[in-house]
Amino acid sequence: MIATNIRRLGLYLMLAFAVVSASAVWWQVIEADSLATRTDNPEVIAARRSLPRGTIFDASGQVLASSEVIDGLSRRTYFDPAFTHVLGYSSLRFGTTGIERAFEDILVGQTDPNPIRDLISDVLDRQPQPRDLTLTIDQRLQDFAAAQLGGDPGAVVAIDPRTGAVLALVSTPTFDATPISGDPDGAQGAMDALRNDPAEPLLSRARQGLYVPGSIMKVFTAAAALDAGVTTPDTTFDNQPREEREGFVVDGFAIREHDLGGIEPALWALSPALQVSSNIYFAHVGLELGQENFLEYARRFGFCAPMRIGPPDRGLSVGTSFVTEAVDGDCGPFRDNVELASAAFGQGRTAVTPVQMAMLAAAIAGDGVAPNPYVVKDVRAHSDDGSLSDQVLETLGSGGGTRVVGSAAAAATRQAMVDAVNGELGRLYAGQADVTLYGIGDARSAGKTGTAELGGEQAPHSWFIGFAPAEDDATPRIAIAVLVERGGSGSAGAAPIAGRVMAEWLRLTAGS
Amino acid sequence: MRIAWRGAELKLLLPILLLVPFGFAVTNVALSGALETGDLTMAVGYVALIAVAHVVLVASGHRGDQLVLPAVGVMGGIGMIMLNRLPQDLAGTRAFGLELGMASTQLLWFAVGIVAMLAIAVGLRDDGILRHYKYSWAAVGIALLAATMLFGYEVNGARLWIDLGPVSIQPGELLKIVLVIFIAGYLAETRTLLTSASMRIGFLSVPPLPYFLPMLVLFAAVMLIVVRLNDLGTALLFFGIFLTMLFVATGRRSYVLIGLILFVAGFYVAYQMFGHVHARVDVWLDPFADPLGAGFQPVRAIYALGRGGLFGEGLGQGLVTLGGSLTIPFVHTDFIFTAIAEELGLLGAFALLGFAAVLVFRGLRIAALARDDFGALLAVGLTASLGLQTLIIIGGNTKLIPLTGITLPFVSYGGSSVVASFIMIGLLLAISHRSRTAEEASES
Repeated sequence: MIATNIRRLGLYLMLAFAVVSASAVWWQVIEADSLATRTDNPEVIAARRSLPRGTIFDASGQVLASSEVIDGLSRRTYFDPAFTHVLGYSSLRFGTTGIERAFEDILVGQTDPNPIRDLISDVLDRQPQPRDLTLTIDQRLQDFAAAQLGGDPGAVVAIDPRTGAVLALVSTPTFDATPISGDPDGAQGAMDALRNDPAEPLLSRARQGLYVPGSIMKVFTAAAALDAGVTTPDTTFDNQPREEREGFVVDGFAIREHDLGGIEPALWALSPALQVSSNIYFAHVGLELGQENFLEYARRFGFCAPMRIGPPDRGLSVGTSFVTEAVDGDCGPFRDNVELASAAFGQGRTAVTPVQMAMLAAAIAGDGVAPNPYVVKDVRAHSDDGSLSDQVLETLGSGGGTRVVGSAAAAATRQAMVDAVNGELGRLYAGQADVTLYGIGDARSAGKTGTAELGGEQAPHSWFIGFAPAEDDATPRIAIAVLVERGGSGSAGAAPIAGRVMAEWLRLTAGS
Repeated sequence: MRIAWRGAELKLLLPILLLVPFGFAVTNVALSGALETGDLTMAVGYVALIAVAHVVLVASGHRGDQLVLPAVGVMGGIGMIMLNRLPQDLAGTRAFGLELGMASTQLLWFAVGIVAMLAIAVGLRDDGILRHYKYSWAAVGIALLAATMLFGYEVNGARLWIDLGPVSIQPGELLKIVLVIFIAGYLAETRTLLTSASMRIGFLSVPPLPYFLPMLVLFAAVMLIVVRLNDLGTALLFFGIFLTMLFVATGRRSYVLIGLILFVAGFYVAYQMFGHVHARVDVWLDPFADPLGAGFQPVRAIYALGRGGLFGEGLGQGLVTLGGSLTIPFVHTDFIFTAIAEELGLLGAFALLGFAAVLVFRGLRIAALARDDFGALLAVGLTASLGLQTLIIIGGNTKLIPLTGITLPFVSYGGSSVVASFIMIGLLLAISHRSRTAEEASES
């Protein structure tokens, strides 16, 4: 009888050997081709160690990164640390990140942007031709914005609301990526130092940092409620003046107003409510909007899903922003109306990236159309002398965008944001974002401050989102989000930075 | 003692004479770029060891299975070629005034292992010492475990090693053999009781507990300790060996089913309780989630398999190091299969799997022909140990199952593993020899 059992065992073991053999076939035959082209494949890394790599320029042709082949090894040099969190790095030891990763095959020249030429190169087995990239970012604005943040951890994201072109994408603190890209032993030391730095310089705060938004979220709540038709710019809530003092009881929980700084509560409509940043008013608006609508509009604006700056198949990744608790990478349901009312003024479980909030500002500035953001302007032929070639191989940035709210809702929200910076009450909060303070006499700016309470004794995060120029007949040229970690109130920390950066851009683009 | 010619074994061994030196030479050509064979001392040394084993078996009139040694010889030869090709400073010995690189050290362990194999194959004329003292063997096993717990030191989160001055040993490797002997002895004695008097719970027949309990308690204790030592690969292997032997002894699939259910439940508990089990499973499910961190080893292994493709990069032409560090960590132990699959391709990988399968099926044949239940169960246990270990580590390399840190028998670098594996072959040959001589005695 044992002999029978042994025969059966033999059969089972034979099956097991067959399954294990099949698993080897899976990687060595079926998946082999797709593995061969992945960027973190060590063979690809090894090949690229010796290949020249294209130059990256800013929007005006300044060199941001270039490569030299020394002793058969390709060495990357980065010229402006303000761009590190945009460009990423190309390291022999740590692989690639940022644009270096997203555009790896084009920079190295393994892929031609033109599919027909690409096919011909493949067939002829040509040596890869490196290609250059130019960014949409102007180095002057990027450096200016970085200087405004100075030593504080934070982020500045600026987008052209007309086209989606990213104008500035700053994360501080930043670091010099050249040592990481250099010889592997030195790179390890440099990387260890960065990893152990408590200031977390490796974190790309603009794209991957998740922060409580605070009052800047009221811009979203206002636009969504107006578009859904549940409020108008003139909507008031009868109990609101009393609730400013006594608290607004939702499901047994009292929502309280922030310190109004001596402003006497009154029956406020949208504009004054946004100017003084009334939590009570927007809690009411949020409840009017309802849980389903809130989530629906949040998704339209780009919350609750990962985002990319650039085409979906080749872009800089942006973390997912949430308006409720994250469930499997999506926004979960609201727990109750207290959470909904809190989310309406940017507390509750909201957690957002600076890029997402810049997109919110851009959608309002763009008449309700959220542009498709992009940061690489074009692909050009590589010139060995490091100069900008005239030969443009491919232009990126499709234009267009997604309508997220109607024109009327956008216009009413925009007016309230203009008032929030320039109005009698608003000036007390967001007046520092007024571009006329920084030498721009003929333009108005619009925006909203945010002070993200973190609980406990921690200083709040300081936020501002806005755009300029914002006077009635003007088309905004810059939409912006500024975050200063633990920067205190939005009016003191982020608003003046936003005002200066917007003013600088209006100056740089004057006459255009 | 009469000489017994082993013609089949001799013929099958002849290709090894060529294979190993040829492999060394090809590697040298690829690495040096010159058309020279390089130093073949080690290749010749390996071939000589295998030849000595054959001669001793012939001279001692051994009638054991003739396919086992060739299968082991080829696997060991492929392993030696690979270990000689990898950077020699990955491992090695510095003792007794000697300084040996990785491949030389491995060759030394092969010598020790082959001597042990021959001593057992030729010397073990009566298996009474194994059969009758099974509880003593169990005590030896417990002592080995206790020693590991008390004096062991940790490598990569698992406490497996005991330092004995010049060498470190892994008692788990020897424990495996002792455990197989104990289970074989126990099952041979209680087999009929276990089969006849089973109880039923629903559709499952459950083993009669009174007969089953002593073994179960002992086995559970071993498993607990092994899991405590964080040696998950060994835990999985022990469990597999146990279930296999139980199945062969009783023929009841339901026992295996119960065992599997228990295993899944136990694994789930371990998954919840131990951070390092949890992490390992997550890495297994999606190594590409963190390709430079937790997923580094499996991701690099997968890329190496992909690079190998159908025909391989060629000996000496794989991407072993990148920028001065290994492309796959632990390539000489846990990932030796991956290195072979990279340089010899799917065909080489299949060849290796094929030889392992030959070994397994010859082992089962020895079991089927064994004179008595004890011999059969012992052979099944030893074969299951070698076979399952091969399947578990190769399956781990190809991401079929979560990766565990056990060796590929006869191929991976590691003295304890090599010696233990040869002891098992020695036992298999002894069992085979006894059944053959008994058969002939009954014929005459």
